[in-house]
Amino acid sequence: MTLVLILILVPFAAGLGLLCLRPDYLRRILVGCTTLAVCGCTLALARLPTPVNLEAVPLNHHWINVGMMLIEIGMGLYVIYVGLRAKHPLIVALMLAQAGLMGWFELTQGSHLEAAQNLFVDKFSVIMALINGVVGGGICLYALGYMREYHEVAHRDVADRRPLFFALLFVFMSAMFGLVFANNLKWLFFFWEITTLCSFLLIGYTQTEEARRNALRALVMNLAGGLAFALAIVWFYKQAHSIELQVLIASKQSLVLLPAALLCFAGITKSAQLPFSSWLLGAMVAPTPVSALLHSSTMVKAGVYLVLRMAPVISGTKVGLLVAMVGGVTFVVGSLAAITTSEAKRVLAWSTIANLGLIVLCGGIGTYEAVWAGVLLIIFHAVAKCLLFLCVGVVEHKLHSRNIEDMSGLILRMPRVAVMMLIGMAGMFLAPFGMLISKWAVLKAVVDANPLLSVFIVFGSSATLFFWVKWMGKLVEVVGSCERVKKELVLGESVALYGLSAATFLTCLLFPLISSRFVEPYVVDVYGQSASLSQGNIIIMTIMMAMVMLFPFSFISYGHGVKVVDAYLGGANVNSSVRFLGSASAVENVTMHNYYLRSLFDETWLSRWGVIGSAVLLAVMLVMACL
Amino acid sequence: MSIWIRVILYLVAAPVVGCLLAGWDRRISARMQSRRGPPILQPLYDVQKLWQKQNIVVRRSQNFYILFFLLLVIFTGALFFAGSDLLLVIFALTLAAIFFVLGAYKASSPYSFIGAERELIQMMAYEPMILLTAIGMYIVTKSFQVQKIASHPTLLVLVLPGIFLGFLFTLEIKFRKSPFDLSCSHHAHQELVRGITTEFSGRTLAMIEIAHWYENVFLLGWVYLFFASSPLLGVAVSLLVFVFVILVDNVFARLKWQTALRSAWVVAAVLGFGNILILSLLH
Amino acid sequence: MSVFTKSPWIIHYDASSCNGCDIEVLACLTPIFDVERLGVVNIGNPKHADIFLVTGAVNEQSQSVIRNIYNQMPEPKVVVAVGICAATGGIFRECYNISGGVDSVIPVDVHVPGCAARPEAIIDGVVQALGVLEKKHQDMAATTGNIDQTLYLRAEKDDAPGILALQKNAGQCEAKIYGDESLPALQQTLEELQSDFDRMVFIKAVVNSKLIGFARGYVREDNTCVNGVIVHPYFRRHGIGRRLLEEIEKAFPSAKRFEIFTGQKNERGLHLLGKLGYREFKTEPFTPAITWVHLQKERQ
Repeated sequence: MTLVLILILVPFAAGLGLLCLRPDYLRRILVGCTTLAVCGCTLALARLPTPVNLEAVPLNHHWINVGMMLIEIGMGLYVIYVGLRAKHPLIVALMLAQAGLMGWFELTQGSHLEAAQNLFVDKFSVIMALINGVVGGGICLYALGYMREYHEVAHRDVADRRPLFFALLFVFMSAMFGLVFANNLKWLFFFWEITTLCSFLLIGYTQTEEARRNALRALVMNLAGGLAFALAIVWFYKQAHSIELQVLIASKQSLVLLPAALLCFAGITKSAQLPFSSWLLGAMVAPTPVSALLHSSTMVKAGVYLVLRMAPVISGTKVGLLVAMVGGVTFVVGSLAAITTSEAKRVLAWSTIANLGLIVLCGGIGTYEAVWAGVLLIIFHAVAKCLLFLCVGVVEHKLHSRNIEDMSGLILRMPRVAVMMLIGMAGMFLAPFGMLISKWAVLKAVVDANPLLSVFIVFGSSATLFFWVKWMGKLVEVVGSCERVKKELVLGESVALYGLSAATFLTCLLFPLISSRFVEPYVVDVYGQSASLSQGNIIIMTIMMAMVMLFPFSFISYGHGVKVVDAYLGGANVNSSVRFLGSASAVENVTMHNYYLRSLFDETWLSRWGVIGSAVLLAVMLVMACL
Repeated sequence: MSIWIRVILYLVAAPVVGCLLAGWDRRISARMQSRRGPPILQPLYDVQKLWQKQNIVVRRSQNFYILFFLLLVIFTGALFFAGSDLLLVIFALTLAAIFFVLGAYKASSPYSFIGAERELIQMMAYEPMILLTAIGMYIVTKSFQVQKIASHPTLLVLVLPGIFLGFLFTLEIKFRKSPFDLSCSHHAHQELVRGITTEFSGRTLAMIEIAHWYENVFLLGWVYLFFASSPLLGVAVSLLVFVFVILVDNVFARLKWQTALRSAWVVAAVLGFGNILILSLLH
Repeated sequence: MSVFTKSPWIIHYDASSCNGCDIEVLACLTPIFDVERLGVVNIGNPKHADIFLVTGAVNEQSQSVIRNIYNQMPEPKVVVAVGICAATGGIFRECYNISGGVDSVIPVDVHVPGCAARPEAIIDGVVQALGVLEKKHQDMAATTGNIDQTLYLRAEKDDAPGILALQKNAGQCEAKIYGDESLPALQQTLEELQSDFDRMVFIKAVVNSKLIGFARGYVREDNTCVNGVIVHPYFRRHGIGRRLLEEIEKAFPSAKRFEIFTGQKNERGLHLLGKLGYREFKTEPFTPAITWVHLQKERQ
């Protein structure tokens, strides 16, 4: 119990402290200590048996609720102020509607809004807490070195508001802990809104026009989700006279379908599914730690976490089917769109959106197999995507470019980062790494529940293959001379990156353990039975992993028994593999650019029709939920 | 037959069968072109000769990828014939193909680069259909295990005709035959120079050829699965399918990659998904 | 019969041919001649090929291309020059843009005559090239571990034809420089060369069982005359000429003085000899165009 409180309060306190610290070395100490504390606590929490009875320690609910209300009012006023200043009527309208609804709700029902258990811990919460603590902690360490270079070298024109930056990172981390441990829906909502605000402030960190615009867009969409959340709370209380998450999950389907649908709507906005994907794409203007923490590993996971929690309620209903279709459409559109762009962070953003779509698909299907697959997807995606974002951040600083075409020959220019990027990419789609196992599980769950949904997965996964391998190829190809970059990584960055690479491997190798200790017990708790990977298949995956890990050993015989000649350039080589004699005896250079298939898949066209299609699906879903 | 016997049989016999198939491929193609064609064992002579040639490279590490490509293709086929999970077999094959593509990228030459990109497009084109094939087989036999599928009492092709036709379409891509031999110009063609295999020579090129033998035997084995309940019919159809693929190769010119991708996805959506839709509605 | 003769893969390059020989090469692939039944495949990629089929004479542009392609072929490899243009420059020999046949650029193993060469002749040439390929493979296998290494060995009388070919090749290049074909190197016949073996020592430089250079020396009174160091144009500037000279000096351990002569326009040769310690001591006019420069060196 104390662990949970520590996890929520310590990062928050650290955040407030960081707000006041100016000198970098003090900041480093505080960040380092807090990260260590948080990691230690989450690991300790993981070893406890669950579910844990959390009401042993008395909490003074009244004062906590008053405090929350005051903070909420403060946030609401700030948001309205932001909306007014930016002349964005929708923000003001949404915030007023949300505040009005919750205010009316409190006033009319205030005294009855008690939850038997405000906080709870089960295996799923523990998994999310581990991700938040370990991966999030790693990102905070990375951010130390990254932000110093950001302000001192790469972006000297951006105002140095690092105290605010790091404060927000830790406040956000504490809000995430609160979110995953909350059973009281009002408390969940409270933490949810804090994450929205943190996201808004962090996207707008650089204070450029583009950043401001994108931050406002994120705010609008997340507020829409927040309004749906508020509606869900109110409606659920009307139906069942309770504000507890566990009660919602255990209730009869017909009773709570609408609140569940509204909560799924909120989750869909938070995890940037179509039609709300544009905010995540726009959020890539923020510095890399923000993209990694909020917009790939943790905050967006809160959205799919909520959808997966709702899975038992919507399973087998039309609402569930429509939620799954929204996820499926997002998966296909996101994967196809990622092929067409050459900006690294945009590719990662689309890939994140697509993979979250896959998790939403699992949530919509809602069978025990699907939820098992969905939780696995969360784990593996968080680790691998975070690794990729952090590597891209380092590369951006050293090469001054986010374009994949500029990363040619990275394996020689920045070998360590390139190898870690390759590990991250392999972790995203390649057998026998984690995401592949998860995708396999999803496929199995889908064919058992509703084979027609498999069409989404089948087309989406072939598209993911294309853009990942094309990027991997760009990293290993060597065209011309490639000079080694002087200092690849600073301390914070290397700790985070090595740690995450090891985590990618370990989560895959220890996958049977993770599944049996954390995921399967949770699924059994909720459904009474769980899926798992059979013994035979585990052995086969281990053999495959061993074969893949043998690959680096082949470099022992590097250069033996082979003769090096130039590449074939039609015989027109001019003393090298990269220069050839062109027409009029001019010496030309070889250039090789990846295919982007823009004649077949246009990003704008895909986005537009994806938005239209998924908006229709969402509208139908809400209608179905009301019936 | 126990699993281990099947696996060892595959490991030993597949290259022999694959070699003969490749030899018959060239012979039949030659006869279709009013020529006599090489001896049946010509692929064996080619591989033997390549094995004894000097190994020249553009980048020193490019051959390592091909070695792992070969090992993983053998692993894939062994998995399939051992009767394990069909989805896992598909994923292992994808892993093998990715090593091949990365090796071509590593070679860092324009022709191997184009070959690699086109190979990726080919993979993107056929993957939906082969996944739908596995799913179709699951819907009918309630199992992804090749063992169970092979011992299913009904003739699968009768229940999965659309998927069978779609699978045949993708076989044209997987066997690297016109109209879809986009990435590496088999035998006599010279476009893209040799595409994905341009910068590999000697032993490495021999390994690629051997890997293709293993892969072809695996693919024909999958065709056999559609007819597994009557083995003789299955073997006969597999060989017929092989001849059919060669016939299509000799009749068609190579099409553009855009056409390949579009048509393969349309076929997967219409034939593959249509078949599954009908099956779901019937249940 | 080894597998090399059963699976010959060809790369066909048109140096500056009128395309007559090229069409005949392609005719070999048609059903009438069908070389694929011999296992021949027109592979078009040097890294996969065994036989380099060249048609047409060599001009400035194709010299570097031929070198590039030849360089990118793995050993063992053979070169077949198809048609008289590829052999000597053919009817275009005197043209300002033609520098000669293919063997002025790379060592050629088989010449197929004809204008245009007939498919039957081309196939016959390829089959003979297979024999050469087989022999090269066996020689290379015998000296394993020496791939791409230059070996310096005593030459025997059997090497005479190859040495004569090299000699004439080099002589033709020189004759072009002086505009005079009366060089003794060009005039020597095979019988004269073979009789030279009785009184001279020949050292040959061999790479991948291919003769690429030689040097010869003999004793006259108490001097030792080195009578010629020749390296194939493709392999020049790799220090082979220097090594050959050193080897020939080692072959006469008791000699006290070495003598050599060369044409006055052979600047590179004179420079090399100067670096090795040879000093000019006499000039001797041979023809109006050519003057021999005699150099000598005392042994240390």
